[in-house]
Amino acid sequence: MNEALNILTRGFVRENPVTKMLLGLCPVLAVTSSAYNGLGMGIATTFVLLGSNVVISLAAKAIPNTVRIPSFILVIATFVTIVDLLIKAYSPELNQALGIFIPLIVVNCMILGRAEAFASRNGLWYSIIDAIGMGLGFTFALLLLSAFREVLGAGTIFNIPLVGEGASTILVFALPPGAFAGLGLIIAGLNALEKKKGGN
Amino acid sequence: MRPIIILTIVGLLSASLLAVVDDLTREPIAEAKKQMERKAIAQIFPFTIGELKTVETEKTTFFEASDEAGELKGIAVKTHTNLGYSGLIEILLGVAPESHKILDYKVTYHIETPGLGDKIDKDKYKSQYRGRTLEDTNWNVRKDGGEIDELTAATISSRAVNDAVVRGLEFIKEQYPKQTEE
Repeated sequence: MNEALNILTRGFVRENPVTKMLLGLCPVLAVTSSAYNGLGMGIATTFVLLGSNVVISLAAKAIPNTVRIPSFILVIATFVTIVDLLIKAYSPELNQALGIFIPLIVVNCMILGRAEAFASRNGLWYSIIDAIGMGLGFTFALLLLSAFREVLGAGTIFNIPLVGEGASTILVFALPPGAFAGLGLIIAGLNALEKKKGGN
Repeated sequence: MRPIIILTIVGLLSASLLAVVDDLTREPIAEAKKQMERKAIAQIFPFTIGELKTVETEKTTFFEASDEAGELKGIAVKTHTNLGYSGLIEILLGVAPESHKILDYKVTYHIETPGLGDKIDKDKYKSQYRGRTLEDTNWNVRKDGGEIDELTAATISSRAVNDAVVRGLEFIKEQYPKQTEE
């Protein structure tokens, strides 16, 4: 049980895919212009990660080494397409907001990374926990960055206005450069926090 | 030999799974698309829609909206432009029948710059289009000597909206010629 808890928290804090391993940054930078988008992307990615980790942990032994990567990518692409179709069917608003970035979850290296580094070498139970931990960590990081950018760039959070209409906002945070700056600030902040904690 | 067989099996399994999911979601997706369209139409008309008739032509799609009493109150038309800052912008334009005065429009697809060009779908910008017709307006932005106040830092997006709106009004004029005109 202790090991399970260890795996769960590792994805969230110590090896957070975004702030520590810097994996899957393309969607992180691209869709985090609003908190709603960030959360939607996080949940979609978590679902794909869960599916691919489950299937790969079960099937890894049957798959020869030479076709390992193509097989993993096929599994991941299948789950991504399923998520894409489900979002199109049941959440057209989210589909409109995330657009091309849903199919692009396929190339999120975090997912292949977990398949290769964890699910193919561990059992079903731990792989599920790893997917949940990593998925939540990814979602948390996206939510943090997108909330930061939405508040500063648009003056809203989850589309709820925080300042009156016409108030000036820091537009650059809604634009791509703001994604880089925001992510940099968040990583720096978390590192500083960790250092302080470690120093004590 | 074994790798080939395994990869084939993986491919077959994933293809069959996708076929099933595609089959299950096809109808909900079509339904969701229709719902989105209805929602957009409901937003551009200031009355409650009783009946909605879809008229498809070679060029575009028209929606004839009647109020709850059954009287034709508005016509919506799908229009678009390729002149956006990032290309295609799709707009659903609503006009009053007969007078062809603009009631409102809704941007249904765009990839304009967030925070700048995407304001073309904000009420603050859209409101200046209401009540205008194809004939009574100089459809240029003020910068080009016209009557439409362009968005600051998004003149190209504003020009693009004008282009789409004019195209939409022309579609309407063609499909619903005014009877009062000679």
